Amino acid sequence: MGGGAGVAIALGGGFWKWSQLPVAENPNAPGVEKWVPTVCGQCMGGCGILVRVIDGWAVNIAGNPLHPVNRGTLCPKGIAGLQGLYDPDRIRTPLKRIGKRGEGRWQPIAWDEALSTVTESLKKLRKTGESHRLAVLGGRYRGLMRSLWERFLETFGSPNYIDNQFQWDGATIEGLYLTQGIYSPPAYDFENARYILSFGSDLLESYWSPVQALSAYGQFRRGTPERRGKLVQIEPRLSITGIKADEWLPIQPGGEGLLALGIANMMIKEGLYNKDFVSNFSFGFENWTDVNGKEHLGFKEFVLSEYDPDVVARRTGVPVDSIIRLAREFASNQPSLAMGYRDRPFQQMAVSILNGLAGNIDTSGGILIPRAVPLQSLPPVGKDTTAQKGLQVDRIDGGKKPSLMLQQPYLFARNVISGKPYRPEILFLYYTDPLFSNPNPELFSKALAQIPLIVSFSPYMDDTTSFSDLILPDRIPLERWQDDPVFLNNGFPVLGIRQPVVEPLYQTRATGDVLLHLAKSLGGEIQKAFPWNDFKEILLYGIKGVFDAKRGDTIGLQFEQAWTRLLERGGWAAPSYKTFEEFWKQLQEKGGWWDPIYDFKEWDRVFRTPTKKFEFYAQTLKQIYPTFSSKDLKDLSFFPHWEELKDAGNEKEFPLHLNVFRTMTLTGSRNANQPWLQASVGSYVFERWGTWVEINPETAKGYGIGDGDWVWIESPKGKVKVRARLYKGAMPDVVSIPFGQGHTSGGRWSKGLGENPYRLIDEDLDPLTGYPISKSTRVKIYKA
Amino acid sequence: MRTAFSKGFLMHRWGMVIDLDKCTACQACVVACQAENNVAIIGPEESAKGRTIHWIELIPYIEGEYPHIKARLLPRPCMHCDNPPCTKVCPVYATYINEEGLVGQINHRCIGCRYCTTACPYTVKYFNWYPPDWPKELKGSLNRDVSVRTKGVVEKCTFCSHRLLRAREKAKIEGRDLLPEDYIPACVQACPSGAMYFGDLNDSNSTVSTLSRERRAFRLMEELGTEPKVIYLSEGM
Repeated sequence: MGGGAGVAIALGGGFWKWSQLPVAENPNAPGVEKWVPTVCGQCMGGCGILVRVIDGWAVNIAGNPLHPVNRGTLCPKGIAGLQGLYDPDRIRTPLKRIGKRGEGRWQPIAWDEALSTVTESLKKLRKTGESHRLAVLGGRYRGLMRSLWERFLETFGSPNYIDNQFQWDGATIEGLYLTQGIYSPPAYDFENARYILSFGSDLLESYWSPVQALSAYGQFRRGTPERRGKLVQIEPRLSITGIKADEWLPIQPGGEGLLALGIANMMIKEGLYNKDFVSNFSFGFENWTDVNGKEHLGFKEFVLSEYDPDVVARRTGVPVDSIIRLAREFASNQPSLAMGYRDRPFQQMAVSILNGLAGNIDTSGGILIPRAVPLQSLPPVGKDTTAQKGLQVDRIDGGKKPSLMLQQPYLFARNVISGKPYRPEILFLYYTDPLFSNPNPELFSKALAQIPLIVSFSPYMDDTTSFSDLILPDRIPLERWQDDPVFLNNGFPVLGIRQPVVEPLYQTRATGDVLLHLAKSLGGEIQKAFPWNDFKEILLYGIKGVFDAKRGDTIGLQFEQAWTRLLERGGWAAPSYKTFEEFWKQLQEKGGWWDPIYDFKEWDRVFRTPTKKFEFYAQTLKQIYPTFSSKDLKDLSFFPHWEELKDAGNEKEFPLHLNVFRTMTLTGSRNANQPWLQASVGSYVFERWGTWVEINPETAKGYGIGDGDWVWIESPKGKVKVRARLYKGAMPDVVSIPFGQGHTSGGRWSKGLGENPYRLIDEDLDPLTGYPISKSTRVKIYKA
Repeated sequence: MRTAFSKGFLMHRWGMVIDLDKCTACQACVVACQAENNVAIIGPEESAKGRTIHWIELIPYIEGEYPHIKARLLPRPCMHCDNPPCTKVCPVYATYINEEGLVGQINHRCIGCRYCTTACPYTVKYFNWYPPDWPKELKGSLNRDVSVRTKGVVEKCTFCSHRLLRAREKAKIEGRDLLPEDYIPACVQACPSGAMYFGDLNDSNSTVSTLSRERRAFRLMEELGTEPKVIYLSEGM
């Protein structure tokens, strides 16, 4: 029996011991297997995995039983990581564009040549005093790599790190920011909740840490005998979450926030809110007077006058008795949780305040604010005069960021097109594919056309990379060192260690190492800012902070967690390591570190608003952005409120709403090259390897469309040809299309399959997020 | 307690329980199975002809009319019936049931007549229309413990019986009896919500036996008399 069965014991009986992880006497002998712990890189979930390696080949991926994020289990993407590694169409060497941009003609070049090309261009920029014209467009990743990029730009002399992370999914950070002043994801302790009111949250399909969500769901349902959590899903389409929920309430796209306000109204009217929390820990509920003696309306009166269930029922189409019942159920089944999706900020806030009304902030089964992993921050850098001058220039996106919520990529793209204030000379693309994964990708192709040198670090030929001039292929996660700081649903911080499990397959280099190389070649202060030889050294530097923090322990079994917690509560730290060397060795063998304790009632950490309280009235935003207020509402604009969606396209010509959703298998933009995922993407409607549109059977009949017919979906912006799936779980006037397919570049398993619904979406930017408003697109459908 | 086989109580009788109340339809089981068992990659064209191979597959049952819809998503492996219809029609003894209740498939003995694919009411038997084709870049990552099938043979879920062989050998080396927790199929191991259980149905105290006696327990198409050893637990209290 090998490691596979060893792991199996842990899951089957719970008797598994760490010592049973097989260590072969000679792990590299032919035919001998070893299991290497690392962190999955298929999404942002941060699961610990064990990779089975035989004869230098990775042959299987299993969950790491010690890792608290996933405790030995995995989601489909995690297992398919193997196909991400062995994708036959990976980029194998640095490539230089020959022929026109986007034409797809490339010449392999040596690393030395590629790196000197980049170095020369960078040097030239600095020589002409235009260091600010280097821009980095960065996507989603975690840990020290981000610090490294920012450090590089700082010493180089550019303010232009453009953060392209928003993407409509992930935790509802804007809602948290408006109520608790924190702009990072909270932890939802839904394993311990008894009632979940989900306003279109993608709990079971594309939660940011899917395995955590799925295992918590199992616990929520049947973790405690005689107690079964109830889940209500409010959403325009019967999603997987909707199917698994106890109740599905269809609602027009974008109407979720309005329903939340109707429920808040009922909770207040019937006195069903947590009066202790509201009076002691919140601001803006009752009428209040500001420092100038001016009287202000409170949320209570505002919501009672504006969002009567009758009004809300009429506008959302949700029956009034459902609104009343949901309010009562939500209030009486404690602890309860309201979860939304990344809608417009004030709609997110409307959902967030339900948790405030129930008092489920910083409580078991409620919203928790995780502590950060105490990585040591990199030492300050020296800046030469070029760098200092460059950093004083305004950012390309305008730089006037009124609140943390404002996203940069769309403003960046628009300004690049207009050339004001200036255009970048060089653009680095790291972990991002805006030509695929941003709504209205056309805007980005227009912007990119204006940039003379585009360097991509992608290991795959994605849509944006195919539009670049030079590719310096990164190693994929299974081939590189990386830190992965993450947190659990119960708020515990976890640090996963990603390590190479196989020898790199091709002539690739980890982007961290490439940055270090570039810094060296640039010399001077830049070189001095990067005294490390490779990224692994930076990793060791960073985790020194975790060792020094004298908290937590390397990851272990559940009983070890209880022991660590007991000791820490008593003021002791007794980790299983004494020296840093021991710590590092254990990290590599077990896969990570954690601090299995959550400190309740640290209000400074939980409420970072100006009032140091939970805000029903968004002082956080008002103080830094007082000019943000709508004409009608004026001062009341800082309450959670609902505004009619301005639909793109008129109702007559485009009678249907478009709802874009994400699936478990092809969640991100880097999963389509994996056949196992392609072959299981839409099982519930018998769809694989393609894109489909879900349409209500009655609606389809009206258009003469049958199940499996090819149809065009057309918006004012564009059209896509997809397969119609008559789905009873579709609202009559809403059509839904999954995101994840329709790559215009890439390998044999991703290019040219399906369509990308983001091509249908216009950039009607939300004034607060600077990102297109979700669910505001209208479409028409006709037979192809 | 039913003892299907004459060797009596000491023999294991392997079975699976799937709790639909915990299942999230994520399909980790589906992909884990593909990886574990070297299931061939069937591209988009053949897939459109319904030729994908999934030893465990998510089956949708969607009933009712909008907005009152009753939907259920069932992960469906081979049922490893105690009274399997497939074995009875096989002219060459390529599919059979062994004394531990596992319904096996000897790929190299199969003549590709597909009687069994027709006989199986659960449609768990898959035919290889082409020789499996992996790009050379992927070949080394195949599971060494499971043989690759050829063109013209039928394949199916084995409850990862190769894992049982390994577990048994390990127990032998260690000079002890096989413990039920030594052996677990890949799908059960991967399941993130803990919805799948595996074990010995002959042991009346095992988790699977206990769960199989729950009020929520049901089996698919029991009325056919197939006596499936995959037991589902329905949603709700």
